[in-house]
Amino acid sequence: MTQGLEMRAVSKYYDAGSERITALDRVSFKVEPGEFVAVVGPSGSGKTTFLSIAGALLRPSEGEVLLNGKDISKLPDKELADIRLREIGFILQASNLVPYLNVMEQLLLVKRMAGKITEADKTFAARLLEELGLSGRVKNYPEELSGGERQRVAIARALMNDPSVILADEPTASLDTRRAHEVAALIAHVVKSHHKAAVMVTHDERLLSYCDKVYRMEDGRLSPAEPVPVA
Amino acid sequence: MFLAWKEMRRNKTRFLMIGIMFVLISWLVFILAGLGNGLTTLAASTFKNMAADYVVFEKGSQASMGKSLLSGELTDELLKIPGVEAASPMGIIMGSAVRKIDDSHEAKLDIAIIGIEPGSFLEPPVAEGTGLDAGRPTYAIVNETMKDEGYERGDTFALDGTSVSLTIAGFVRNQTYNHVTAVFIPIDHWRELAFAAPGSDKGIRNPVNAIMLQGKAIDPETVNERLPGTETVTRAQAVQGIAGYKEESGTIMMMLGFLFVISAFIIGVFFYVITLQKSNQFGIMKAIGARNGFLGKAVISQVFILSLLSIVTGVLLTYGTAAVLPEGMPFILDTTWMIAYSLILLAIALLSALATVRTIVKVDPLQALGRVE
Ligand SMILES: Nc1ncnc2c1ncn2[C@@H]1O[C@H](COP(=O)(O)OP(=O)(O)OP(=O)(O)O)[C@@H](O)[C@H]1O
Ligand SMILES: [Mg+2]
Repeated sequence: MTQGLEMRAVSKYYDAGSERITALDRVSFKVEPGEFVAVVGPSGSGKTTFLSIAGALLRPSEGEVLLNGKDISKLPDKELADIRLREIGFILQASNLVPYLNVMEQLLLVKRMAGKITEADKTFAARLLEELGLSGRVKNYPEELSGGERQRVAIARALMNDPSVILADEPTASLDTRRAHEVAALIAHVVKSHHKAAVMVTHDERLLSYCDKVYRMEDGRLSPAEPVPVA
Repeated sequence: MFLAWKEMRRNKTRFLMIGIMFVLISWLVFILAGLGNGLTTLAASTFKNMAADYVVFEKGSQASMGKSLLSGELTDELLKIPGVEAASPMGIIMGSAVRKIDDSHEAKLDIAIIGIEPGSFLEPPVAEGTGLDAGRPTYAIVNETMKDEGYERGDTFALDGTSVSLTIAGFVRNQTYNHVTAVFIPIDHWRELAFAAPGSDKGIRNPVNAIMLQGKAIDPETVNERLPGTETVTRAQAVQGIAGYKEESGTIMMMLGFLFVISAFIIGVFFYVITLQKSNQFGIMKAIGARNGFLGKAVISQVFILSLLSIVTGVLLTYGTAAVLPEGMPFILDTTWMIAYSLILLAIALLSALATVRTIVKVDPLQALGRVE
């Protein structure tokens, strides 16, 4: 059984009026545990579509999506939600935290959605927050955190369900350069320390040095990019 | 509950505002209900508290005491009809009690003079003093609100426009008719008062307004067949026949009905707008795996907590209001109705919450990925 995430000849079409837009064109791709992959590309090239399909938010028009060897490309909505809850960790753009929950509760919410919160969950959450340097902010609310801290909470939340794969959609979009580097470095760190497969979509080419592999998306087609020079 | 409670704690002001709005609505509903209840009680408490099951009126009188005239002798025939356990005649006229304050001043009080047979099932139990006695025709038992007007046991008052005086033998509770104090006297004496003008009895022997019946198994049809010229209705129908009763309670019920419709809209729109505002959060939570059921439960339990707290506050405020309202105000809280109206309000809130759950179902988790603005 293959671990991690694999896509086989995945295509996605959108019907816009009479036209048919090909957002993804026969994309094949693979990421293994412990591997941090970046996807770059111009606006409208299909990056978000790619990530949505990888993250069980969207079903492909054609092709297979294998998560830990299991094809999830044809599952009904309810089961997709379950896959997202148990197998996938999302790090979204800024302000993707629930405004009325404090940092600890943001993490526990994930467990709450799946059932009851146990003592072990609380210990695990506390350990994650410590690992991400948030021990002092456990009781704070999102509005009291800096943009960088919020993204660190989002990283911790993405790890909370012990997912098979971590997906990040422009996680540094609203951060300044220093913070953006910090966040990218932290994702790279947890990918190694927790041995997770991770995919990050980004515009920011300076962050690619944190990644093991880089793919380029262009007009819905994914291709390996030249290895980036280390900054 | 997790999300519901956390959100309310964090956004106290917002939820307090909605709560206040809800409290005001429920308060208004309860006050109106109490007032309606008070007014209809005032209009008909004598009838409502009477131990009668059916009322026999003159045919064509539309169950109205004022329009009905029967012979009291029908009582004996009624007793022969199967199902009739007891029968007793009754008559009502309106009048005023006049009390001298000093030589140049007198106080008048509107009263309903009700004639009944002493000792019959129509005679209400006295709370104070003694009951009616056929041997003392000018002794009356009166509603205790007359005490507030300064009357005491043993006092004598004149009936306005007549030379007749009545003496208070005892006081009874909750006896009003057509919004005024009920005064019970023996029916023979009542007849002398009611038909003082020659010919006003239309030649009927022993005239009365109606005959009240006891007996759960009475069939009104049988009564009407046996005694042509009569019309038998239930006590509840007789209450409806009291002058102005239907119109008055109808108006109040209509206001209550509108209030429920309005509150359904206000509450519904509020929850809908709040849910819409949060559609972004719902998108994020769905993206990280929240099921519709999880979010729906959160919204519904939130509405439940909020409505319950608001309704309970409304109930408390209503009892507080009742305590400070002036004595004479017709305001009566009925626990059964309070519970019923509370449940209706709660149901309205929960239904509107259920409607907003549809909005949640429609939220696309994809919007969390920053594609949909
Ligand atoms: N729901 C949709 N209906 C129709 N067309 C869509 C839809 N979603 C995306 N598209 C189209 O698919 C293509 C790929 O969109 P996508 O959002 O994946 O691009 P992207 O690489 O994430 O762009 P950006 O960098 O601007 O976020 C675009 O041409 C877009 O217009
Ligand atoms: Mg995008």
